[in-house]
Amino acid sequence: MFKTEIITVLLFIGLAGLCGASAIRDPSPSAPQAAAAKEAWQKEFDEVCSKTQDAMTFSPEELAALIQRCDALLPQIEKLDDTRKKVYMGRLRMCRGLYAYVLDSKRNEKK
Amino acid sequence: MPMCSIRSGMKRNECGLLLVLACGVLFLGNVASAQIYLPAAPPEQPSDYGKVILDNSSSAGGPGAVVFDHWLHRSKFTCRLCHVDIGFAMQAKATGITAETNRRGFHCGACHDGKKLHGGRIIFASCSDAGKDERCARCHSLGKTGVRKYAYRSYTAKLPKGVYGVDWEAAEESGAIQPVDFLEGVSVKRTPLQSREDFSVKAHYSWVRDIGFSHKKHSVWNGCEVCHPDIFPTTKKGTIHYSMFLNIAGRYCGACHGKVAFPLNNCQRCHPYAPIWATRN
Repeated sequence: MFKTEIITVLLFIGLAGLCGASAIRDPSPSAPQAAAAKEAWQKEFDEVCSKTQDAMTFSPEELAALIQRCDALLPQIEKLDDTRKKVYMGRLRMCRGLYAYVLDSKRNEKK
Repeated sequence: MPMCSIRSGMKRNECGLLLVLACGVLFLGNVASAQIYLPAAPPEQPSDYGKVILDNSSSAGGPGAVVFDHWLHRSKFTCRLCHVDIGFAMQAKATGITAETNRRGFHCGACHDGKKLHGGRIIFASCSDAGKDERCARCHSLGKTGVRKYAYRSYTAKLPKGVYGVDWEAAEESGAIQPVDFLEGVSVKRTPLQSREDFSVKAHYSWVRDIGFSHKKHSVWNGCEVCHPDIFPTTKKGTIHYSMFLNIAGRYCGACHGKVAFPLNNCQRCHPYAPIWATRN
C-alpha cells in the first residue's frame, strides 16, 4: 500500500518534470506574450512620434535617425488588422513626413 | 472689302460707340471669369459651416446618414487630436468609419465609448447596441428633427462672435474654450510645442497688404504635422506661387479655410486693411 503511494507520487513528480521540461524547450506564445510583443512596437511608436513638437530643435543627424526608426516600424504596423493598420500607418506617415520635412528645410538652410 | 466699306461708311461717334461697347463686353467677360475664382459665400447659417454628412453605408437600410458638426467638436478638441491621433482623414470617404470600427474604439469610438469623461460627464457610446434607436439618432440625424442634443445658437451663446459665427481664435485666447489635445490610450505624450516665429507672406497685388501669418495661432489647434508636409510641402521659399485661386480650389490655406476655419472671403483676417467683406469684431 505504502509502495503504491510512493510510486504514485514519483510518477506525479516525473510527469510534472516532463511538462516543465517541454515548456522550456517549446515555448508557445501565450496571450500575455503576444500582448507584450504588440506593446513593443507601440512603445517604439510612442517614443519616436512623441518628438514631433521638438522637430525643429534636432540636428540633421538626429532627424535622420528618427526617420530610420519610423521606417523600421513600418513592417510591424503592416502586420496589424486593417483598421489599426490604417490609423497607425497614417500617424506614422505624418510623423515621418514631418521629420523629413524639417530635415529637408535644415539642409536647404545650409545651402 | 466689306470691312473697309463699313469703316469708311462709319461716322466718328459711331466708331467711338463701338469701341465703348467692345470694351464693355471685354470688361463683363473678365468679371464673369473672375467670378469663378472668387471665394463662394459660406452657408447663410454659421451652424451649417463645416457640417459633414457621413454616409458610407448608413442610409442603405441602416439608421440614416450621420450629421457631424465641426462647431461642436472644435469647441472641445483640437483639430490635431482628431485628424492625427484618432486618424480622421481630411478628405471625404477616406477614413473608413463603420459601426464596427466605432465599437472597437476607433474613429468616433475613440472618445464615444461610454466610459471616457469630458467636462465631468461620460461621453456617450457610439454604435453601441444598448438603447438603439434613440441613441443612434443622436448622430444618424440627417432629415430628423429634435434628435440632436446641442443647438448651435444656445451652445455658442456665450462664445465671442466674429462677423460670421463664433470667433474661435478669440474663444481660445480668452479661455472661453479649452480644446483638449490629448486622449488617454490614443495620444502620445509630448512636450509642449515651442512656437515657431511668425512671418509675413508677400501679397502679389498692390490692393492687399502682406499676410501676417501666425505660427502660434495655428499650432494651438494643429501642432506641426497637420500642415507639414501634407498641406504645405515645400521647404524652399519662393518655389510655390501661393494664390487665392489655389486656396479657393481647396489647396494650401483653403484646405481648412473655407471649409471649417474662418471663410476665405473674410479677407481682413489674413490681409490687414484689405477691402472689407467683413471685419473682425
